[in-house]
Amino acid sequence: MSLEAFAVSRALSIGVELELQLVGTHDYDLMPVAEDLLRATADADVEGDIKPEMTCSMIEISTGVCGGHASALQQLQALRDTLSTAARRLNIGICGGGTHPFQHWGERRIFDGPRFRHLSELYGYLAKQFTVFGQHVHVGCPSPDVALYLLHGLSRYIPHLIALSASSPFVQGSDTGFESARLNSVLAFPLSGRAPFVQSWADFEAYFRKMSGTGVVSSMKDFYWDIRPKPEYGTIEIRVMDTPLTIERAAAIAAYIQALARYLMIERPIQVAEDDYLVYTFNRFQACRFGYDGAYVHPDTHEHTTIGEEIIASLARIEQHAIELGADDALGRLRSDVTSGSNDARSLRESRASGTPLPELVMAQCARWMKEDPM
Amino acid sequence: MDLNVWPAWPLHFGGLLHAGLALAVTAIVGEACRRADIPRVAGYASAGLLLGPAALGWFNAGALTTYRGIVDLCVALMLFELGIRLDARWFRANPGLLATALADIVLTLLVVFGALWASGVDSDLAYAVAAIAVGASPIALMRVAAEGRASGQVTDRMYALCALSLAASVILLNLAVGGLHGANRDWILAIAHPLYQLVGSALGGVLIAVAFGVIRKRLNPGSEQGTAAIVAVMLLAVTILTALRLPALLAPLFAGAIVKWRDPRPHLWPPQFGSIGGLLVIISLILAGSIMSLDLLAAGAGAAALAIAARAAAKLGAAAAFGPATGLDRRKSVALGLALMPLSVIALLQALDVRSLYPEFGERLLAVVGAMTLVLGILGPIATWRALRRCNELHGGDER
Repeated sequence: MSLEAFAVSRALSIGVELELQLVGTHDYDLMPVAEDLLRATADADVEGDIKPEMTCSMIEISTGVCGGHASALQQLQALRDTLSTAARRLNIGICGGGTHPFQHWGERRIFDGPRFRHLSELYGYLAKQFTVFGQHVHVGCPSPDVALYLLHGLSRYIPHLIALSASSPFVQGSDTGFESARLNSVLAFPLSGRAPFVQSWADFEAYFRKMSGTGVVSSMKDFYWDIRPKPEYGTIEIRVMDTPLTIERAAAIAAYIQALARYLMIERPIQVAEDDYLVYTFNRFQACRFGYDGAYVHPDTHEHTTIGEEIIASLARIEQHAIELGADDALGRLRSDVTSGSNDARSLRESRASGTPLPELVMAQCARWMKEDPM
Repeated sequence: MDLNVWPAWPLHFGGLLHAGLALAVTAIVGEACRRADIPRVAGYASAGLLLGPAALGWFNAGALTTYRGIVDLCVALMLFELGIRLDARWFRANPGLLATALADIVLTLLVVFGALWASGVDSDLAYAVAAIAVGASPIALMRVAAEGRASGQVTDRMYALCALSLAASVILLNLAVGGLHGANRDWILAIAHPLYQLVGSALGGVLIAVAFGVIRKRLNPGSEQGTAAIVAVMLLAVTILTALRLPALLAPLFAGAIVKWRDPRPHLWPPQFGSIGGLLVIISLILAGSIMSLDLLAAGAGAAALAIAARAAAKLGAAAAFGPATGLDRRKSVALGLALMPLSVIALLQALDVRSLYPEFGERLLAVVGAMTLVLGILGPIATWRALRRCNELHGGDER
């Protein structure tokens, strides 16, 4: 099977996908209600899409093609309002967060669909253990070669994105010590990690042909890379983020990615190289484990700083691009969060440390995501 | 000197022997059912029947009266948990659900009453049977759900409808008793007695909710002490309610609903009070079997068969008609109706309480209700089990 042609897309347009948790309001454990929620929102007149995901207690929302932060946020708000209304009718909660803090993977059920059944048969318990919730951001690329430049150029910002979005400190009832424990589940998949270092689309096609010739993959969907090209949309897709606890943060992170992409595409400030990846897994681990405080080894200079400092420095570098894109307010809020050391993982952990039981933590997550006034 | 050193022959056993054997038999029948893909609670009900006067005769009708407190405690614990699952906010967000419950209650009352009355049953008896038929067995539903670790929309609605229909059933039967007082020309009692029961239960519910709130502040309900404290509150509540001649049904249910309304946080303890709850259910079902004598069952069989058919039609009809408007698809709506089939211990208690006031009428009521619970206590949980499985709401289907 050959790779489809790289579609035309508007350069630097963005699309946001969020995988969300569906929980019951009695115990706040995951609940298999995706089918009911999809039915309840089938006639909703909103831009974007609401789709099933791997297990019956998750759902994915995606915006359409957005010009920038404002339109992405607006579409996400409409989707959230639609879903929240439907959820109240079904007496369920919807929340963000990269993992459910106490669900047991053995109890999950695979959504009934040919692809999900196939994945379940192939990966066995990994498919159920893959009950993790991520944010994916698509960035439109004018050509496939630019897409590959952007893919490799953005790879050095992966730790930044992990630290900003981290919201999965708890897994199966325990504190993992990680800020993003979700990515540890992703790593169990054979085709996860980073994309191969190829710089031209012709080379990428050759790589794909070789891989599909081995029979290991049949489509781009079989790669679980942190960043992967999405030829049918003409985009690259950044997949390392946990689903943040609010759509506001999800939109801000998407805006940050868009500004980084604009900076890379227009200024071409770096020469991408295979050696960029020498420090990749180290930096990635540090981000998952320690968030802003994680060590960051610069791919070019090999200088050691912290991820937090690197985020602040990057925000300064891309400031002009953020202004051009109308995202300076959103990025300003991210900057002050980094300065004060706050992200979703830390707020969850603080709340837990003050004695909140895990089910009540999930209840608070739902209230935050659904924008509920506490009754 | 004649010391009691050597055993007398034949050996003399205390009453605990039968109790021990009965528990063992019930547990074995439950497990056998499990292997035959039938929920355990159906097995417990069958075992109760087997041990009672209808078959082996190890227990007779006196057993339920003697150990009524155990059954009341079991029922109170279950109803309190059911009440906590009843989140009144849901009805505000989805009023169609209240309409479904109302349709379920009204249709069941009318159809069962109509069917019995048309077949020549006198109207008092037809109404009382219909009032009891309105309810569904929370014990059976909750045990089936726990056994299959059910979760999903049908499961949640099943709990909500069970709670509302049971509350309605208790109130409707109260009115029937009021009517019986009226028939005796005791008009003041006809109004005062149902009113006393209703107001008393409501106040009792508030007090239980307050007591739970006090415990909740100091103890984690999921901990051993927390669970013990909740059981203690229910034990006290049952004792006080009984002394006040109030049934221990509405008050704990109402208390649970108040707790959830006042404090929407999850209130979690081991589901159905873990093994204590499980044991209480087994004992309750053995005791329920103890009143099922063949004479009694034979007397009520005809009317019961008719009432079962009418009730099934009404409950299925209501759920199928109103379910889709609340966000269920047709298949799940029918499943919801099926899931509500069980009728069990509480129905028997309701009939027994009427009998304690009006022995002759109560005996006829008990005959019909007894025969109904015989069928619906065994087939009902199987219907619930199948219905939930059809909607893919069971997790694997075995207890952890």
